[in-house]
Amino acid sequence: MLTRHSFGRFGKALGPMLMLALGASYAAVAFAQVNAPAQLPNGPAKPGFDIARFSDNGGIFKTFNVQQTEPLQKVLEEGRVAGDTPVLVTETAGSKLALLTDQMVFHHLAQGRAGGKDWMAAF
Amino acid sequence: MVPDIDGKLHHFSNVGLYDGLFVMQDGETKTLWNHITGEAMYGPLVGHNLGPVRNLLQMHVKQALAMDSKMQVAISDRIYFAGGRQLGSAGSPGAGGAASRASGPNPNAEMSARFIPTLGKEDPRRPRMELGLGVWTGATRRYYPMERIRERGGAFMDQLGGRQVLIYIDPETYTPAAMFVNASSAKVEDNEVRLNNRSVVRSGVLFDHGGKRQTAERPQQVFTRWYGFALTFPGCEVFGQ
Repeated sequence: MLTRHSFGRFGKALGPMLMLALGASYAAVAFAQVNAPAQLPNGPAKPGFDIARFSDNGGIFKTFNVQQTEPLQKVLEEGRVAGDTPVLVTETAGSKLALLTDQMVFHHLAQGRAGGKDWMAAF
Repeated sequence: MVPDIDGKLHHFSNVGLYDGLFVMQDGETKTLWNHITGEAMYGPLVGHNLGPVRNLLQMHVKQALAMDSKMQVAISDRIYFAGGRQLGSAGSPGAGGAASRASGPNPNAEMSARFIPTLGKEDPRRPRMELGLGVWTGATRRYYPMERIRERGGAFMDQLGGRQVLIYIDPETYTPAAMFVNASSAKVEDNEVRLNNRSVVRSGVLFDHGGKRQTAERPQQVFTRWYGFALTFPGCEVFGQ
């Protein structure tokens, strides 16, 4: 079961990618699979932060550890993406980089190294 | 964001919710981090920030290649969909895009009850689940409700941090976006945004009046729901009110 909200006409194009754009939704099934509560330190807290409102998700989302990239044009020509496949584009020290939205809905985070610098993208 | 703290790489994961938004945690110190601002919220690294935060722009493959023909892509083993086909091997399609893509978003859905206890004091100026574009600079945090952008024809000029900024809904993807441009008016025509200086924004790329590609600078931005932006940036400006 997915938790969904109204996107109106936006849903036709990019609705699925927006479902988690700001953590607005989680797959409810995820909460049923809780098996590894986050280990929390004993503070300190940023002023105004209330740890009582933090809700653990059990660590079910796995960060995408990016080990390699390839030219998007080549991947398109090989049919592994289509022209209308939704992507999220960021910039690393090496190049502009596209991440597949379908995959980032699960990963939420991607980390890697390019151009001699570490980078991270959060969705 | 830069996952290095004091020169040392840290490894991050999504561990839960706060203010209805997902929270990151680094594995090294267990500090909790805000995934929009990169600010440490709870733990020994409070006071640190993972900046500079870069935009994560939403588009499709064709637009990404129009932006940069040398664009790279990273693909994990997770199931995804492209051209009507399922690709990848890990996970279940229902947890990602397939189920939602097939049935479309539920127009009557509300925020999950699981999210509500994580919310702080909400800002009642806009509906909780309203969609809009949030932009921020060093001094300004401003939210543009989608309906306000539509009311202005889907594209208009505003001021942000003393600069002219184009606010528009991309005609191809229907996502809102912001871009700094030197113009005073804008309108959407024939699937592109036309500026009064005869420049155009097409597939997310700025072209001058001669059709030459221009470097486009964008403010920090996020396509968001009101509650997310308002709780992240309390007291933010709301365009038009």
